[in-house]
Amino acid sequence: MDTRKMTTIGPGASPPLDVLIMDDDAASAAACRRTLEEDGYCVAVAGDGRQGLQAAESDGPSVVLLDLGIPGVTGFEALARLAEPGSATIPIVMTGDGTVDCAVECMRLGAHDFLMKPVDPEKLLDSVRRGVDLSTLRRQADAPRAKQDLLLQGLDFLGEAYSLGMEKRQLLDELASLEKEAKHRADGLGRTGGKERAIAGIREDLLKADAIMRKYGFRKDALIQTLLDIQETFHWLPRHILGWVSGRLHIPLREIHGIANFYEAFSLEPRGRHSFQVCTGTACHVRGASELLTRVSAALGLQPGQTDSRLTYTLETVHCLGCCALAPVIQVDSEYYRDPDRSRLDTIIKTMQKETQA
Amino acid sequence: MKRVKTVADLENLRTQAVAGRDAREAWLEVCTGSGCRACGAEALADALDGEIEKRRLGDTIGVRRTGCHGFCEGAPLVVIQPSDACCLKVQPKDAAAIIDRLGAGEGPVTDLLYLDEETGGRIARLQEIPFYKHQERVLLEDNVRIDATSIMDYIAIGGYGALAKALSGMTPESVLQEVKAAKLRGRGGGGFPAGRKWETTRNAPGEPKYVIVNADEGDPGAFMDGSLLQGNPHSVLEGLILGAYAIGAAEGFLYVRQEYPLALRSARIAIEQAREYGLLGRNILGSGFSFDVTIHRGAGAFVSGESSALMSAIEGHVGEPRPKYVHTSEKGVWGKPSCLNNVETWATVPRIIQKGADWFRGLGTEGSKGTKIFSLVGKVKNTGLVEVPMGTPLRDIIFKIGGGVPDGKSFKAVQTGGPSGGVIPETLLDLPVDFDELTRAGSMMGSGGMIVMDENTCMVDTARYYTNFLAHESCGKCVPCREGTRQMLRILDDIASGKGREGDLEILEELAEFMQVASLCALGQSAPNPVVSTLKYFRGEYEEHIRQGRCRAGVCTALIAYDISQEKCRSCGACQRSCPAGAVHKSETDVFTIVQEKCIKCGACFRACPEKFGAVVKVPADAIRHEAAEEFALAGTRE
Repeated sequence: MDTRKMTTIGPGASPPLDVLIMDDDAASAAACRRTLEEDGYCVAVAGDGRQGLQAAESDGPSVVLLDLGIPGVTGFEALARLAEPGSATIPIVMTGDGTVDCAVECMRLGAHDFLMKPVDPEKLLDSVRRGVDLSTLRRQADAPRAKQDLLLQGLDFLGEAYSLGMEKRQLLDELASLEKEAKHRADGLGRTGGKERAIAGIREDLLKADAIMRKYGFRKDALIQTLLDIQETFHWLPRHILGWVSGRLHIPLREIHGIANFYEAFSLEPRGRHSFQVCTGTACHVRGASELLTRVSAALGLQPGQTDSRLTYTLETVHCLGCCALAPVIQVDSEYYRDPDRSRLDTIIKTMQKETQA
Repeated sequence: MKRVKTVADLENLRTQAVAGRDAREAWLEVCTGSGCRACGAEALADALDGEIEKRRLGDTIGVRRTGCHGFCEGAPLVVIQPSDACCLKVQPKDAAAIIDRLGAGEGPVTDLLYLDEETGGRIARLQEIPFYKHQERVLLEDNVRIDATSIMDYIAIGGYGALAKALSGMTPESVLQEVKAAKLRGRGGGGFPAGRKWETTRNAPGEPKYVIVNADEGDPGAFMDGSLLQGNPHSVLEGLILGAYAIGAAEGFLYVRQEYPLALRSARIAIEQAREYGLLGRNILGSGFSFDVTIHRGAGAFVSGESSALMSAIEGHVGEPRPKYVHTSEKGVWGKPSCLNNVETWATVPRIIQKGADWFRGLGTEGSKGTKIFSLVGKVKNTGLVEVPMGTPLRDIIFKIGGGVPDGKSFKAVQTGGPSGGVIPETLLDLPVDFDELTRAGSMMGSGGMIVMDENTCMVDTARYYTNFLAHESCGKCVPCREGTRQMLRILDDIASGKGREGDLEILEELAEFMQVASLCALGQSAPNPVVSTLKYFRGEYEEHIRQGRCRAGVCTALIAYDISQEKCRSCGACQRSCPAGAVHKSETDVFTIVQEKCIKCGACFRACPEKFGAVVKVPADAIRHEAAEEFALAGTRE
């Protein structure tokens, strides 16, 4: 146990502790500590479970990095105690046990994130950064005036948006996306009761991702094929799944993002359930693809690349659908249409809306 | 047990397959290529099935869902066998009449047959329709005859016969020699002799060796590889197995772009069936030779069609090219010798082995042997897939087979070779099409895209279109390509929007020369081709854009405006209803006018205005200030 840092920090001492590492593997703890300190965090290390929990209680770190195998307590017990409701300390689990069940159990007990050992420095920083942010948010939310301040901030924002001449429709879109974000955060704060549901959802997602990786024998060189299947299953590449894939296949998240950005087929943002793909191949181009694109864009109220706020449709352009002889063409989900006019497009959209309602 | 263990087994199976086909008196071959699908071929095939069932004719008439027949202009298309009668633009409501007449032993429904505009008569037989008559369909003919999801169909028409011939009586060397003797050149664009490539991989040190099918047909405007793989996947597989045998590879990859879901599906089914029948796997046809294939889906990047980039993608990395001082045929996938050819090249191999190198050499020109498939699209009457012997003049392809430019417009140019190719003007239409002639004319064969352009196609816009494509698809690894395409695009954008300056064309030429010399891979080296060739043949059009702010084709939106002739307008309101921007208003005199400030120039009103009125016209942007705007009407307006 590293006592040097521990003794220098007590209640009320300055600077406040950002991260407490609970890990008995000195080499691994030192590596994490170096990475975090280089980024400006104040870090302490505990090599024993009981001492670690004590330190967590007295020093109130923003984030605890917990190794599930730490001696002195069982990992899950420690996690449960750290993740007590109302605590501003955010537990992040590190472990060599990469099974879905272990991950899900951790999430269920309130772990904010789940890192596979050996820990990838980039992922560590990313996870800690988000943990510290969340901790700060929780502390603020506990303050008595916080609620009112937040509402006032919201009003300021609305006023500013109007003064900038934002149109009502735009504003509504903006609010819808803010609401989504707000719900997401509220889930993080454990205040909506949706947490169990969210965890169940995540569990399902991870199992699906595992099934896909298993199909390719967890092979690194099958990464592109794996990602294509994930894209097809989820209509985008959700962040938590990429993190999972990165850990399972031992590929740095950076490399996965590199591939996701390079290829057109991948989306790092959610896409609609229905896709409208306007072909911009040469044959379509010379026979009026741009007019068709304007028409589709007007019918959907979306620019190319956009998805509506309800995640129903995404409008995209593609290089060539291979229907050159019938140019200009559009592919809606798996159906092809030859130069549809506005009323045809409206019919297609209406059918989809009806299906969604049903 | 379906497993075919010997050549004799295969022949037995073939007899069975043929008997299965002959058991029915008539077959309706419904094209279910991507084009016909877009026109409702699936519903049509289902309707035909329904009518047959209703009449209990299932034992005598069968429906076969085949790959692309090529004549997409006539989609959806049905060919009746054995009479070879070709019905065009068939709708599900026609199904009953077709089956009734067939059941009664009468000829096909006349209204569905090809209408010969010259004679006014109808043509029944597929082979006699002008579109087909002037072609020589070596590869495509089988597309019409088989259901791609049935290996028995392929076997019935002689499929895997070449493989049986090679494995039972030819050494790997003699297979290689046959392909070399045939002088087959790669159909993917470069035209590199396939036999020599095979030999390099065969002789290169390192084991294992790989063979790869490139089905990442990225050229916008080309769809022959996709159609071939979708319609006749076993021919590609058979070619690949033959190649693997000749080269000494035990493993192969099929790299298919994921934008081709139909081709992907066909390929998957074909590979499963071939495994089931023992035509892939261990000890194929009892020869001791083993080989298997894995499908790898491309994730949408044009540059991944380049051999080294494609192999990098197979390894699971970002598909960027690498410098090729060592060819991929020597060091490819995981540093092992890897032989890559495109779909059409592999599909040609079984024909060469079956019919011999001499037969193949009998087709085509001195430097380019065999036939080539082109995707004939754009402003041409008969769009579709066309297969002709190498050396066929462009004029024959576009006018005899394609029927020329529709709507009485005049021909301006034909673009070949995709984004790496160039345009060919009318003066060079008698050029025989082969690898070398097209390159000499400043374009290239490419994979076979052939986009016909008429007077309403702007050459600056065409160059801008391709440059935009390439700037977007450049992987960014080397500076000449990344920056060159971007700068070219900026200049072309300026010219197209009326902001071109004197000297721009010279800068374009300078950039082009630099990129051709200094870029890392073929994408960058050939990226200036669209600009260079349009400048070479249509410099005047560029100069008009720059000096007069005029786009004679009426395409560059910044240089045109739409206007409504007050005299011709009959107040029908079609334009107003079609306008997505709310820019069409009714004036006091009850006719419509366009509020230029609101107009987004989408052309919807221009299309909506009934042809007999022709009131909406395209005019130069600066003419809109004048009162009598129609006087400035451009070539793009209706007569």
